[in-house]
Amino acid sequence: MKDFLLNIDRRIIFVFVALGVIIPSLTAFKLPIKPTPYVQAIYNTVEEVAKNKGTILISFDYGPGSDAEIQPMALAILRQCFRKGVKVVGMCHWPDAVGLAERAFAEMAAEFSAKSGVDYTFLGYKTGAGTLVLGMGQDFQGAFSQDTQGNNTADLPITRNIRSLTDFDYVIALAAGNTPEQAWIPFGQERYKFKFGVGCTAVMAPDQYPYLQSGQMNGLIGGLAGAAEYETLVNKPGKATGGMGAQSTVHLIIILFIILGNAMYFLYGRQKGGAQ
Amino acid sequence: MLFLRRTLPLALAFILGITGIFVFYVPHSTSQLIETELALWDRIIWAFAMLLGIYSLLKLHLGRVRKQQAGWGYSFLVFFGFFLMFIFSVYNSGNGPFVPRSNAPEDPFNWMFQYVQVPADATMFSILAFFIASAAYRTFRARTPEAAILLVAAIIVMLGRVPIGAVISDFFPMASTWLMDVPNLAAKRGILLGVSLGAIATALRIIFGIERAYLGGGE
Repeated sequence: MKDFLLNIDRRIIFVFVALGVIIPSLTAFKLPIKPTPYVQAIYNTVEEVAKNKGTILISFDYGPGSDAEIQPMALAILRQCFRKGVKVVGMCHWPDAVGLAERAFAEMAAEFSAKSGVDYTFLGYKTGAGTLVLGMGQDFQGAFSQDTQGNNTADLPITRNIRSLTDFDYVIALAAGNTPEQAWIPFGQERYKFKFGVGCTAVMAPDQYPYLQSGQMNGLIGGLAGAAEYETLVNKPGKATGGMGAQSTVHLIIILFIILGNAMYFLYGRQKGGAQ
Repeated sequence: MLFLRRTLPLALAFILGITGIFVFYVPHSTSQLIETELALWDRIIWAFAMLLGIYSLLKLHLGRVRKQQAGWGYSFLVFFGFFLMFIFSVYNSGNGPFVPRSNAPEDPFNWMFQYVQVPADATMFSILAFFIASAAYRTFRARTPEAAILLVAAIIVMLGRVPIGAVISDFFPMASTWLMDVPNLAAKRGILLGVSLGAIATALRIIFGIERAYLGGGE
């Protein structure tokens, strides 16, 4: 028995994790969600922008692998913007984000009857990362001369007055890679001093804290939990809120296995030189 | 040949490197114009680098298919996926490649993205949860005092970052926030400064021709 507990077959752990995801997902397992100050800061900034019916830029810098974590953030932010009359310009640093961004815009535009070119526009993907951000700061309409539908940004009501990144009231990067710290901050925020917030995967979130403290970012939505907090703030529970039961359960299962592994290690493993 | 293979790339790296640094910090209008132009060149080079990447990928997998190396069937699938998506992209809902791409959900390119690539990628990443759980059980052992501290911190953050932590006790979200805001921040900033200084040193070595590995190895 002690050998079994000291070296539990990984397939047994997989079954526990699978059940930890499936059962809460199939049941109405709801937990109270309290927004953290960093998520609240992004929400509040969008509310401030809404007072002047301003324009924000959302950079979709993620791919299908991060769809589960970041797409709910995109939907919640777009929902807040369209509900409050904030205009949204979308773009991508990742080529495989285009389909995800288009899906998010289409879903929210249909819900709020938002018009492309007036209430929002999507500029698509361009190469360059840091130098693209630099170009957008110097000449926005030169960097993105057309949206994905072939309309000139110089003619669209939403972008015709945007000459530089400084003309946006807020810039939000939804990222699964290093675009916030490698492109947006050094080539954009630090130079043009616009308000900047980030939504990222949970694994990336700890890397963003130095930028939060320095003020280069004013808010952070980290992972599925952050997305659920934002959904709570916009008062529309979605997939992230629905995933909190499964995520909480799986975290508990992992913690219990870690405790079990350590208990067995201290009881028996040290004499045997540790588990294999 | 030596001029093209060594002298010219070194000279270009030096001139463009120095110019890039200069124009970034000098706010004069001429300097800004040069910077705009250089940023544009860089984006064009990126686009060509993507073409080069596609060429390298296809060449690698073509070699595997030709030699019928182990797993060559997967290499065949690379070609299948690439050319299928390329054809769908050119087809563009029947409008051809010279008009803006269709964003209609029923467009074959969009359909393949939404119902093949997105679920496939999401599945790959979701499998990580299973391996992380297994690896955590096997390796996360408090063998030393440092490992014990890491273990306790990890458990606090794992509980503090999900709603169940607050249900158990308000201590978990508070302690998790403190761990992220103080020790994590201090460590990340230290790492960041070290990495940045290293990157500056490497950049200077490349600009002044001391570091030449990017020119390609051997004769």
